[in-house]
Amino acid sequence: MVIGGSIRERVARPSNRAMAWFLGLGALLSVSLAHALWFGLDGADPGHGVELVRELGLSDLALFTEARYTRHLSLADSHAAFQDHPLALDHFPTASLAAPPEHLRNPHVAGD
Amino acid sequence: MAILNPAILALTLAALAVSLALLPAAVFSLRVLRQWDMDSGSERQLGLERSTYLISTLVAFAFAVELIALLLFIYNAEALSTQFVGAMCATGVLNVNGYGWPTLLLKVLIFFAAALWLQLNRLDNRGEDYPLTRRKYGLLLAIAPLVWAEAAVQTLFFLNMNPEVITSCCGSLFSAEGSGVAAEIAGLAPREAALLFFGGGLTVLGLGAWRLWRGRGGIPFALGGIGAFVTALMGIVSFVALYVYEHPHHHCPFCILKAGHGFIGYGLYIPLFAATALALGAGSAALHRHVPSLRAAAALEGLRSIRLAMIGFVWFYALGLWLVARSNLTLTEVWW
Amino acid sequence: MLQAIERQRYFIDYSLSSLARRRGKNLGLLTVYSLIVFLLASVMLFTQSLRQEAAAILKEAPEILVQRIAAGRQDLIPAAYLERMGSLRGVSEKRGRLWGYHFDPAIKANYTLMTADQHQLPPDGILIGAGIARARGLGAGDFLSLRGNDGKPAAFRVEGILPAETELISSDLILMAEPSLRAFFGIPDGLYTDLILKVSNPREVRKVAEKLTLLLPDTRPILREEILRTYDAIFNWREGVVFVLLMGALLAFVIFAWDKASGLSAEERQEIGILKAIGWETGDVIRMKFWEGGLISLSAFLLGYLLAYLHVFFADGFLFEPVLKGWATLYPAFRPRPVVDGLQLATLFFFSVFPYTLATLVPVWRAAITDPDSVMR
Repeated sequence: MVIGGSIRERVARPSNRAMAWFLGLGALLSVSLAHALWFGLDGADPGHGVELVRELGLSDLALFTEARYTRHLSLADSHAAFQDHPLALDHFPTASLAAPPEHLRNPHVAGD
Repeated sequence: MAILNPAILALTLAALAVSLALLPAAVFSLRVLRQWDMDSGSERQLGLERSTYLISTLVAFAFAVELIALLLFIYNAEALSTQFVGAMCATGVLNVNGYGWPTLLLKVLIFFAAALWLQLNRLDNRGEDYPLTRRKYGLLLAIAPLVWAEAAVQTLFFLNMNPEVITSCCGSLFSAEGSGVAAEIAGLAPREAALLFFGGGLTVLGLGAWRLWRGRGGIPFALGGIGAFVTALMGIVSFVALYVYEHPHHHCPFCILKAGHGFIGYGLYIPLFAATALALGAGSAALHRHVPSLRAAAALEGLRSIRLAMIGFVWFYALGLWLVARSNLTLTEVWW
Repeated sequence: MLQAIERQRYFIDYSLSSLARRRGKNLGLLTVYSLIVFLLASVMLFTQSLRQEAAAILKEAPEILVQRIAAGRQDLIPAAYLERMGSLRGVSEKRGRLWGYHFDPAIKANYTLMTADQHQLPPDGILIGAGIARARGLGAGDFLSLRGNDGKPAAFRVEGILPAETELISSDLILMAEPSLRAFFGIPDGLYTDLILKVSNPREVRKVAEKLTLLLPDTRPILREEILRTYDAIFNWREGVVFVLLMGALLAFVIFAWDKASGLSAEERQEIGILKAIGWETGDVIRMKFWEGGLISLSAFLLGYLLAYLHVFFADGFLFEPVLKGWATLYPAFRPRPVVDGLQLATLFFFSVFPYTLATLVPVWRAAITDPDSVMR
């Protein structure tokens, strides 16, 4: 180890600066992780949303409100005239974002 | 379909990149085995010597990727368990098709082979005349097919993930009533398992202490390390796991990796794997201690490996002991 | 040990001063690299957060949802079906759900109208989601007029606005009393939109669903586990596609890095030549170049990830909003909540750091083995 040398010299040494740079970035990363633990889903309760879902028996997120089959993704239909599900000849933009619901991709009951 | 998940994409690309990197390395290994001659000053030998820099860096890089890929693979299997009916943890995901377990086994095998190679490489670089070059590339030739097989099996595993399959999870695979290796291990009486677990631990720690004290016995220590690894895995399935879950019949080696158990599994597996790999390295250093140009280096490297390996083993067994001690589960028939 | 560290520190010192000598070029590289990591990380963090949010909220969704299928389409389901299923073992509660869509031409938005018996609303009272309140500029006490089934406008009084924290599920909801909804949509008594069943023991859900398809052959049960898996995989596919597209960008970057590393300037060649002449070994040169690459790629990884974190969790992922919004007028204003996920970080690390290192490997070696005299001449 190089011991001694003025503080200015030590600060000027590139590897020390790099160390400071990565320590800084690492500290920020730890802050982000701590933030995620603190304010994230793991720690916090999911809020009133759960209450509302239980009360009303909701089945879907109001994420894509533009079309019936994207508003209630999980209730989307199998192939029928004038009715589609996400990815079935995309018409609305969001239909190209989400995947068709599980029960259409993997019907659990034959003939469904 | 499942292939388009980022982690799967990363693993597949990593396997592809490593396989490709080992292709020129394998060809080069063949040339080394046939033509390497340290005493020659020919153009060919000079070319070979220059290429060793590239190849050894390339292989070291590829193996470093493999080591991390093993961790990512397990983590990913754990994360995918929400997407399959019946899967509660990584066991269920690995059971989705016939390629899951072979992939994991190959990955573990490659992990140890790669770790051995990396330590051999490190040792070889210490010698003035690179005395282990032939041996090193011979070993590389043996590892390369494993890596290619692993890439193929892993790709098949990911491609054949069919969410319709109702998979069976740890409850049925690791149960004393089932059949197969997993069930055999799970069916081991906790008492025997505990004896094996701590017996293996005492053996390897004793051998390590002997080696540190007397300065000899690196090879027995490496063998002890392998033994400890096997008995430790058996012990986790048939005995430590019970205490972690506080449930007398839950034998899963993967559920301890879950957040619900504080990711304690990583604290167990990572030191165990690292210590075993280091023990293998210590063994190879002991094996080469008579090579003239390596005499000092081998002793030094061996000592370093053993010290680190001992830290890993002590950590592992201490944590295992603590997990048993703090548990609310009492299996009376284990202790008396 | 200390000696080894000190040795590496000298390599770092040298690498950094060598990087600083071509500051502009390397800063440009770092910027492009961080930007790619930023895009990858943003997509990952956003989708992961949404997925977790969906899983947390929808775990209380009904275990089984029963739709009646008539002529291949979903139809209203008679209340009598509730009796027809009789008492199924394991079903703790069963009731009809009454809901529907209403298109409001005033703001070109789709509302979801639903009954809420628990709230004891007066016949003309409604509760609205925060998204509607925002889009129509409504507050409690205001009136909302909608054109009903019979062509006549129906005026409703806004009794309250659903809490803003629930916007992800309630943004476009209008809750009203059952008779009002029946009158508004013209749905006669004895018909529901669909039925929901609560099953307390998760093991019995599939059994109950099987029995239902036998008892009521014209219905289709949708299980909660399917709903959850739908949302678990909601973006998997597209996230993968985005990743494949970004992979193109990554590949371009890798080629750029390769090119930069192999197209060493005469000056850099000379530098390596001098190093070797003063006693550096080939391995040392490779190590020094590796440090260069490592410092750049690690910085890019950390910078890109941190920026993505800010973008997604503090700026609400504003870059994605137009994509998610589509043509929808009502877009839930929600702030994604962060999730710690080691898998994400590890995957991102894989994607960002390894390709760069791999790309520079061969060029670096090529530079490192050059004879000192051939470049210094």
